[in-house]
This record gives sequence, C-alpha cells and structure tokens, in this order.
Amino acid sequence: MEQPHILVIDDEEVVLDSCLQILGGRDYRVSTAANGERGLRLVQEAHPDLVFVDLKMPGISGMEVLEQIHAADPTIVTIVITGYATVDSAVDAMKRGAYDFLPKPFTPDEFRLIAQRGVERRRLVLETIALRREREMLKEHFGAIVSHELKSPLGAVQQNLYALTQELSGVLNPHQRERLSRMETSIDSLLKLIRTWLRIYTTDIDRIAEAFQPTSIAEVVSAASEAIQPQAIRKDIEIVSSIEDDLPKVNGDQGTLVEALVNILGNAVKFSRMSSQIHVAANREGGSILIRVADSGVGIADEDLSLVFEGFHSGQPGEGAERGSGLGLAITRRILQAHHGAVSVESKLGTGTTFSIRLPAVPPGAETIDEGGS
Amino acid sequence: MSTGKKLMMIDDDPDFVEGIRSILVGAGYEVDVAHNPKDGFKALQAGEYDLLLLDIMMGRGAEGVMVARKLRKDPKLRDMPVLIITGIREQIAFLFPGGAMHPHFMPVDELVEKPVAPQLLLERVSSLLEMAAKRKG
Repeated sequence: MEQPHILVIDDEEVVLDSCLQILGGRDYRVSTAANGERGLRLVQEAHPDLVFVDLKMPGISGMEVLEQIHAADPTIVTIVITGYATVDSAVDAMKRGAYDFLPKPFTPDEFRLIAQRGVERRRLVLETIALRREREMLKEHFGAIVSHELKSPLGAVQQNLYALTQELSGVLNPHQRERLSRMETSIDSLLKLIRTWLRIYTTDIDRIAEAFQPTSIAEVVSAASEAIQPQAIRKDIEIVSSIEDDLPKVNGDQGTLVEALVNILGNAVKFSRMSSQIHVAANREGGSILIRVADSGVGIADEDLSLVFEGFHSGQPGEGAERGSGLGLAITRRILQAHHGAVSVESKLGTGTTFSIRLPAVPPGAETIDEGGS
Repeated sequence: MSTGKKLMMIDDDPDFVEGIRSILVGAGYEVDVAHNPKDGFKALQAGEYDLLLLDIMMGRGAEGVMVARKLRKDPKLRDMPVLIITGIREQIAFLFPGGAMHPHFMPVDELVEKPVAPQLLLERVSSLLEMAAKRKG
C-alpha cells in the first residue's frame, strides 16, 4: 500500500471538492463519486483502501452502499459521513461494519485525522490477514519445510563426514579422528531433535484414538525394552520387568504406547548410573493398569519435578550420557492423555526416580465382544 | 579390490550422493549417478546394473515412488534389487496409509534412513545383492 487509495461517495459536490482539496497531494490517491451506483462501480474496479460514504444520498442509500462494499471486499475500511449529526445513524452504520464516522460539517484537520486513522486501520487489517495466512501456511507445511530446509542439508553433511572419515582413515591422527567423531555426534543429536519436532508438528496425537484396539501391556513393555536396549547396553544397564499374569488389555494404539514408554525408559537410562538396574512393573489396580518405571539414578530435584513434562526441559544427565531435547516426556504425556491415562513422577535426589503410568483397563468381557465384532 | 558389481544411484542432492558414492567406491563397487528420475530410468534401461539406490523425495514430490512403479512394470528391471535411501521415514507411513513403515515397492528392496552409516550401507547393499542372486537361482 504505497499510496493509499481513498474513495469519497457523496452527493454534494462541495463536499467532494473540499475532500479532494484537503487530501490532495502525494500522500493519497483520491477518487470521488457523486452517487451510490457510481461509487460501487469504482469499488469493484479499483478496490480502494478506504471509502467515505455519505449516509443521506438520493438513489441507493448510504447503508445499502456500505453493505455492498463489505460484501464485495470485507477488508476495505469504511467511514460514514453523517450530514445530520445524529449519533443514532452513525452507531447503526458502525454496527453494520463501518469503522468510524465523520459528522458534517467538518474542519480540514478533522477530516485529515479521520482519513489517516482509516488508512492506518486498513494497513493493520491487511497485515493481520497476511500474518494469519503465513501462520496457517507454516502450520500446514512445517513438516515439509523443516524436513527439506534443515534435515536434508544436515543429512548430506553427516553423510560426507562418514565418507571423509573412511577416505582419510590412513591419514588422520587420533586427535583429528576424535574431532570428526565429535562432529558426527553433534549432527546426530541435531537430526534427532529435528525428527522429534517433525513428530510433534506433523502428527495430531489426539487422532490416534480413531484406531484404538485392545492392546497387551506385556507386548508394549517388551517392545519398548527392546527398543532401548542399544542405549542400555552402552551403560551396562539391565532392564528388569515383571508383568502381572493375566493382565487385562488396554484400549489403545500400540505404536504410540511403545513410544510413550520408550521415552520414559530412555530418560531412566540417561539418568542412571553405569551398571545399574531399571525396574519395569505392570500391575492391575482397580479398573486401571499401573506401569511403574523405577531407576536408581541421580534423581530429580523437587523444584524441577513439576517441569519434566513441560517440554524443552532437560535435566543434568548422569554419567556418560547425552543431553536430550527435553521433548520426550512432553510427548509421552500427550500420548497418555489421548489414551485417557496419566503419567506422574516421584523422585529423590541421589536415590532415583519412579515414573508411574496409569491407563484404564478394558473391562472383562468387553474385549471379547470387541474382537468378535471386528 | 573390485566387487565387479555395478550400482546405479538416483538422488537429486549431489552433496549427499558424493557421501554415499565415496563409501561404495571405497568398498569396490562401481557407481553411476543420475540426479533426476528421468535420466536415472533411461540409464537403467540402457545399462546393466546389479542394484539401484533410490531416493524418494525428488523434484516436486515423491518422484522416487514413480520410479519404483515404473521399474515394477518393466520386464527387464522388475527383479532389480533396490535400496531406498530416504529422509522421510515418518512421512512414508502417510503416503501409504495402513501400510507398514517399510512400503516394499519392489520384490527385493530395503529401506534405510538418511544419513546412513557406512557399515549399515555396505551391509544392506551386499545382503540385497545376495538375495537377488539367490532369487535368480
């Protein structure tokens, strides 16, 4: 909007002339129309930024003109000119979408000021629309943008680090090899972080409920334990699980439940001491299933305890561990909420941490009906 | 130390290609490269290749999937082992709703995620070549 276009619709030639004179100059482009029909035609053709409409005109009434302008382009800002300074008609016009009113007679300064405010309003309207559109676009395409703009080049860098490390294997001294390997580790954590972001922004966790099925907790625990093995082995940590016999199933999505548990187990491994144990227990408790993951690691301070599920909170890891993105437990909580479950944590500094997951059990009998029906 | 095996790689990211090719050449493979699906498919039809390394997201979308579909219809190329190297493991599930993470475009294929560690790359390539040799009998 380099030179805002202002249209004045009024049947009094004197008013049109004085408007042209007051606003004329380099700041605005001003057009005039002597009646509603001509004014509306100009609106269609030129899409002005701001339109002044006289409420009392022969032919199409000012109110009608207002309504047609708003129907044609709701982003055009309208201001009514009220010949008889009755507040009623101005209020009525503003209820129908006019932004402001200008009582006749007016001084040049009054007119200039109101025009300036109207133009400013138009600028804000357009800016808001542009920002909203941008936000929608970002939301919609975030996955693709992140994946292409960040992930691909990082992936290529990593691939070349791998390749160079091999190509130069005869030439590199241990110190140089160590530096390359540290670069690989850093890029690896960056890629992991980007993958987690993608997961959060591109999948609607609440929608997993559409595909819920009776799911065995024993299978979830064993799949999650298996997934975490590589990290556990590196720290010589044993994962000991005890699952109550004949545990009822839960109504859920196995993939995301495994993910929820993997995040908790990963956390437990990260904050555990070398060569320790992590205990996973699953029991029935009333109408719920309770899964407890207990480590004997560094523990979490009381003041941090409430933050662990908030996202972007990352604790001080234990021995030989990598720092996390702090998003894993936030995702876990969202997954469990979608399952009508909950997750809580108790901890003692220096002694260890226990995470408890509670999920509603499928009542006995309901499961067989469900399976027979599918 | 040459394996005598000739591989084709279709991927539109020249930097990434170099990182893969160098590892394979170092292990004794001969590697030809095409930077778009069209050239790649032409080269596959014209030459004799033992394996294809295929990117999924190229050009305006999942053009790698088109390449796989064309290969499957081609009597000469339908048994070619394919190693899919992709940066979009998560999204693949959305492209093929209801399917597993690994879509199995081809009779003999494997999927690895970008970037791929040298050991894993070489392992997958040699096991795919072995599987293809067995199928031939």
